[in-house]
Amino acid sequence: MASPVLADRPAVTPRPGRRRRPGVGRSDHLIGWLLITPALIYFVVFLLYPAVAALYYSFTDWNLRAPANWVGLANYTELLFNDVQFPHFWKSVQVTLQYTLIAVPLTLISALAQALLLNAIRRGSNLFRLLLFLPVVTAEAAVGAIWRWLYDPQYGLINAILGLFGIPKQNWLNTPELVIPALAFIAAWQCGISMIIYLAGLKGIPESIREAAIIDGAGPVQRFWKVIVPMLRPTTFYLIVTGTIAALQVFGLVYVIFSGGGGRSVTGGPEQSGLAYVLHIYLYAFRYDAMGAACAMSFLLLVLIMIVTALQFKFLKQEAS
Amino acid sequence: MIRRVTGAAAVAALLAGLTACGGSEEAAGSTTLTYWMFQDRTPQAAEVVEKIRTDFEKANPGVTVKIVKIPKDDYNTKLGSAVAAGTVPDVGILDQPLVARYALDKTIVEMPAGTVNEADYFEGALNTNRVDGKLYGLPVDHTAVALFYNKKLVPTPPKTWDELKQISDSIHKADPKIAGIVVPKGDGYGAWMFPGVVHGAGGEMVDEQNKKILFDQAPAVEALQLWVDLLPSSPREITDSDMAFANGLAGMMISGPWDVATIKDQFPELDFNVAPLPYKTQPAGNIGGENAVVFAKGKNADLAWKWLKFLTNSDNNTQLAQALGGFPINKAAAERDAASFGEQQQGFLEQLKVAHARPALPDWIKINDEYIAPAIEAALSGKMTSQQALTEAADKTRALLGWNS
Repeated sequence: MASPVLADRPAVTPRPGRRRRPGVGRSDHLIGWLLITPALIYFVVFLLYPAVAALYYSFTDWNLRAPANWVGLANYTELLFNDVQFPHFWKSVQVTLQYTLIAVPLTLISALAQALLLNAIRRGSNLFRLLLFLPVVTAEAAVGAIWRWLYDPQYGLINAILGLFGIPKQNWLNTPELVIPALAFIAAWQCGISMIIYLAGLKGIPESIREAAIIDGAGPVQRFWKVIVPMLRPTTFYLIVTGTIAALQVFGLVYVIFSGGGGRSVTGGPEQSGLAYVLHIYLYAFRYDAMGAACAMSFLLLVLIMIVTALQFKFLKQEAS
Repeated sequence: MIRRVTGAAAVAALLAGLTACGGSEEAAGSTTLTYWMFQDRTPQAAEVVEKIRTDFEKANPGVTVKIVKIPKDDYNTKLGSAVAAGTVPDVGILDQPLVARYALDKTIVEMPAGTVNEADYFEGALNTNRVDGKLYGLPVDHTAVALFYNKKLVPTPPKTWDELKQISDSIHKADPKIAGIVVPKGDGYGAWMFPGVVHGAGGEMVDEQNKKILFDQAPAVEALQLWVDLLPSSPREITDSDMAFANGLAGMMISGPWDVATIKDQFPELDFNVAPLPYKTQPAGNIGGENAVVFAKGKNADLAWKWLKFLTNSDNNTQLAQALGGFPINKAAAERDAASFGEQQQGFLEQLKVAHARPALPDWIKINDEYIAPAIEAALSGKMTSQQALTEAADKTRALLGWNS
């Protein structure tokens, strides 16, 4: 789930000072509006309205059935300060932050490594691109089943490989300390979209710069640190921002890994060590009958995401150099 | 997947889509009863349901029963949305732990006195519909967990806790690669099984009438300690492996009838059977299954109860329960048709005679998941003693409910 989405870039670049062409009149405006109507309706009905409604419900005690009663800021204060009512709220915050801190760098490293390899080979790059992208398009339930098996304490492939290096068997998904690294590793395996974006970034580095570096006597390591990494900085910045936003909202991965089949309830793994924030929202919304509190949680998440993103814009280098 | 909107927006969008479904329509000149149930498990199950439906229509001229089948995973969400939108069915399945919630906010109606003869039904199953002493629905089928045992490793199943510990020890001693029993975990599922063990020590989880939390008392502590004591002979690194019991890596496990079919299908060589749970002072177990309720905003309440009586009468209930993957709640049906259940199912039939309903508290799912499950986990991982863990959970529950004892 840690794979970011493509940015929406403005489709039209405004050109200041340019006068409107003759013949562009009201009917063209009308056609323009007509053309964007489907997108607009989608936006209002499925994004804007639910978001505004959720904000309203976050100030109520709504439980999905009975009429909602206004409770003011109670949901927010209880969430933050009442550990009887919400015993695992702060745990879910901690789990999600830890996951983000591990998953995002791991995903970027794995994506960049894959992109460099793909960029280096001459033959069969399409095949490898397909293979490396497959984890992204694999159904989440299948991903969960495969990885539960890979992490199996008795028969798992991961333990078998580690065994070759003399590392003892681990009970990955059932040891609280290992759950987040295990989940982050799956996210890094699913880094296909970041990999494609990095690949595009690599293709965008002019060949002349690489040649100049070689002539100046830079080896592969120096070229990587002095040319490729700085030139990819805008790409990296973009991937960090979108990857962080996605990682803070991780849900599907945790859900399928701990659901284990058999209609079992998903309460977040051993000792809540995999209780991702959005899973916590889900449980309160649909299992514990507290949609109002769940809405409040999602707005707290929105605020957190906005703060984190603003900090990233302020403190991370964005320009290529 | 929508990634840039908040979780709630996604969730609300989902709801907006769902409320479009549901509702009921009335054909002219006849009465239509809308019934919601879970999606059929097999095509054969669909035939059974269809036959019961047509039989009911034949017996009640002018009545049409419209059955809406919804995937189990989406059911509660859809039902909640329908209630919010006022488009509920007349009658439908309701998860056992939801009955108390729906009853207390008057989403469902009380069963009129004299609708059924209560003695016809198993007490545990009927009690899953009881809130504050009143019945708010009828069970359609019921199910429970019981003890699966590998006949090669466990020739005679244990009856008591002492025998259980002893057998588990000897299995693991004989072969350290094999665990005695798959000990349940401290998650929502393990916490659901736990009361069955507590009742086996003569205890109760909660006394709803006198507003008392009892799961920090001796029977519950002993029940949790039993699980803790089983761990040395049942190491997690063995039992956490996928299907450890079916793979022959564990001598016993606690699970439900749904695993019988899976194991028989995927591990035909495994020689296993099912016995009632071992107990300390009295045989006991937990209960699950499907209840059916009549909605306050639905129509034709009389007809709805008639339909539920029809589903649960001794003629239809066995077939229906088998189609739903559970067991009949009608005593006469269960007794008469016991032989139509397979060898392993007999253990469950036996177990269900002593089943206890879970506490009828609207917050029970949350108490189960958020307090009891972590307490079980804390004791099993050795971070707390059983007593400490359950005391803490009980105190939190008291604070949540505002109860003093």
